[in-house]
Amino acid sequence: MTDVASANAAAAAGPTSSFSMVEEPLDLVRLSLDERIYVKLRGDRELRGRLHAYDQHLNMVLGEVEETITIVDVDEESNTQSVRTVNRKVPMLFVRGDGVILVSPPSRAS
Amino acid sequence: MLFYSFFKTQVGQHVTVELKNDLAIQGVLESVDQFLNFKLKDIKVVDEERYPHMLSVKNCFVRGSVVRYVQLSPPTVDTALLQDAARREAQSTQQMQQAKPNVAPPVA
Amino acid sequence: MSQLQPYVDCKVSVVMNDGRLVVGILRGLDQTTNIIMQSCQERIFSEDEAVEVVDLGLYMIRGDNIALIGLIDEVADAALDLDSLRGEPLQPVKH
Repeated sequence: MTDVASANAAAAAGPTSSFSMVEEPLDLVRLSLDERIYVKLRGDRELRGRLHAYDQHLNMVLGEVEETITIVDVDEESNTQSVRTVNRKVPMLFVRGDGVILVSPPSRAS
Repeated sequence: MLFYSFFKTQVGQHVTVELKNDLAIQGVLESVDQFLNFKLKDIKVVDEERYPHMLSVKNCFVRGSVVRYVQLSPPTVDTALLQDAARREAQSTQQMQQAKPNVAPPVA
Repeated sequence: MSQLQPYVDCKVSVVMNDGRLVVGILRGLDQTTNIIMQSCQERIFSEDEAVEVVDLGLYMIRGDNIALIGLIDEVADAALDLDSLRGEPLQPVKH
């Protein structure tokens, strides 16, 4: 995968005609096409999957997706919280962009 | 327009639309519009025991703004074509950005 | 051309963003999914009681508050036994 820092250095060094440079946030998403990415969504949801398409709203199509939902259960009597996660796999998924909080390339995924 | 075009290629396919109220609806995609509102036919709510609200509904219109996910059938998706289309879309939206005078010019 | 045009003058079931379910006759709509519904009835589902039906009359519902509009199959709807039907209330839409 193209290194963002070196792409930016290249951008600073010369004219910006090359299409592979990172000038704006969505360029990082473009460079993640066909890579496995991490997506954090509203509602304590996280996705890991292969990015097949995206647009300026961050609508996406992901393949071989693993979704993790974090659920916090509060026990009213003892007033304690317990956190559990639910995982599921979806082979092909369209994700609506308005729920996206952040996108991370695979090397930076936790 | 990328996903509008994409969903037009999905018309007639079985999809599961998951809404932001946690309702999931299985059905055949009948049509889509520019807002990514969907029309589905032969629908069934995935957890019908729990949510019997739609038992007498076979066709429905889902407002795009309440869609969280659409589960698709992988064989119906040409991923190479999608990636090409996404790159082209990125290029064209970037050119549109640069054509706007109030956007900061690229680093020279 | 609106995708909803074929539903006009038909009995529909509208899921609203706050979780309510309103059944009525769709009389009109616009681009933003604002709709006019006649002879509206709210159907209130609960886990341990019969479905409660409340008459509401004529409604104009703003599109932003609409999650889904279902075309009711009137034969299937007439066959529903709302007195014995049990179900959880729908959850509100969380953006």
